[in-house]
Amino acid sequence: MTKASISFQRIGLILLIVAMTLGGTTGCKSKKKLAREQAAAEYAARVDQATKDLTAMLNDETTWTLEEKERRFATIKSWNLQDENVISLMDQVEDMLARERAEAMRKAEEERLRQEEEARKQREAAKYNSVESQFLAIAAAPDINTANEKIERALSLFASPDVPVLVIISQAGGFNDYDRPTTISKYLNYLKDQKVYNNRIEQVKYDGNGKIIELELIKK
Amino acid sequence: MRKIQIIIAVMIGMFSINIVQAQDDLSPERKQAIDSLALEKVRDLSKYISIIGSKTTPWSEANRVIDRAEELFMAGAEIGVSSLARPEVAYYKVRQYFERLMRLNYDRVEIEWFKIEYVSDLQRQPDGTYVGVITIFQKFKGYDKEGGLVYEDTTKKDITVYVKRKETQIGGRIIGFWDVLLGDMRVKETSK
Repeated sequence: MTKASISFQRIGLILLIVAMTLGGTTGCKSKKKLAREQAAAEYAARVDQATKDLTAMLNDETTWTLEEKERRFATIKSWNLQDENVISLMDQVEDMLARERAEAMRKAEEERLRQEEEARKQREAAKYNSVESQFLAIAAAPDINTANEKIERALSLFASPDVPVLVIISQAGGFNDYDRPTTISKYLNYLKDQKVYNNRIEQVKYDGNGKIIELELIKK
Repeated sequence: MRKIQIIIAVMIGMFSINIVQAQDDLSPERKQAIDSLALEKVRDLSKYISIIGSKTTPWSEANRVIDRAEELFMAGAEIGVSSLARPEVAYYKVRQYFERLMRLNYDRVEIEWFKIEYVSDLQRQPDGTYVGVITIFQKFKGYDKEGGLVYEDTTKKDITVYVKRKETQIGGRIIGFWDVLLGDMRVKETSK
């Protein structure tokens, strides 16, 4: 091996190392650029998606439930997008969701109260079943004597034959409209005469002995 | 202090106006309830007349029912009585009419009212009373001892109805109620 050939081999090796070094640097730079471009594209896609979703929510163009909207909003928020338009839309949607949440809670509370009231009425109705069945029996009595016996039995539930009976004919705006007040004695005879009981018990007041001292009925 | 007094006075005034309005400007639902109540009173009267006229009703029961029926009417109201046998219509005070009805000279009497309806809707008068007219058709049948039909007619009658809001105190609270009172019952036509 001559000195000249050794020298060529060294030069070749150096050139190879230089070439590899230069080539490696250029490849690394391309990957970073690619990553940056990918990140930018992903960001742009998220901005685009967020804009679409938020606008759709604001314009009520989705079929999402409130929970679905809130989940979507949380996801968009987690992206931490710094786009001005998205930030503005997010503010508006956040306000809208707060209003919708408040409205949903109000409706849920109303529904809860309505169900409670319904349950209370059913409990009350069940409580008054024995009184109402006596009223129905008087109205359905086949003759005067039978009706009079049933009236006597029913009167034993009341403190006196003069216990007031109020009949609500309509309820609106916190007002009760009543028929002319009567007494339990007259009312029971009314059931006997008219042969129909078409009210239901709304409220009953009792004395210390468990006798009824006031009866409030409502037209069915 | 004076400001507070003025504010309280204004609030009381507004509250009072609201109550008056609640009674003056009746919602359709409340008006409907009052219309129905007045019709119901006429139907009640129909049943009472049938009981009073029935010969099977014991005397004491008939008198009790007369009391109830009389309570449906205004003081001094009159009821017209007609007959196919004479052209004129006789008018009797309510109590007198019911007592005559109870003593009719038949062995059995059937009285039925039908087509009970408003001919003139309840209209609010300046004094707050609602006044209307309800028409009824009365089918009367009188039988003799043998069960034979002796007399029958159908009479169309108009009943004036007065509905007024009143208040009473029950159990320590004020109760506002609609008092329905029937006025004169006029005979419009009588036919076989």
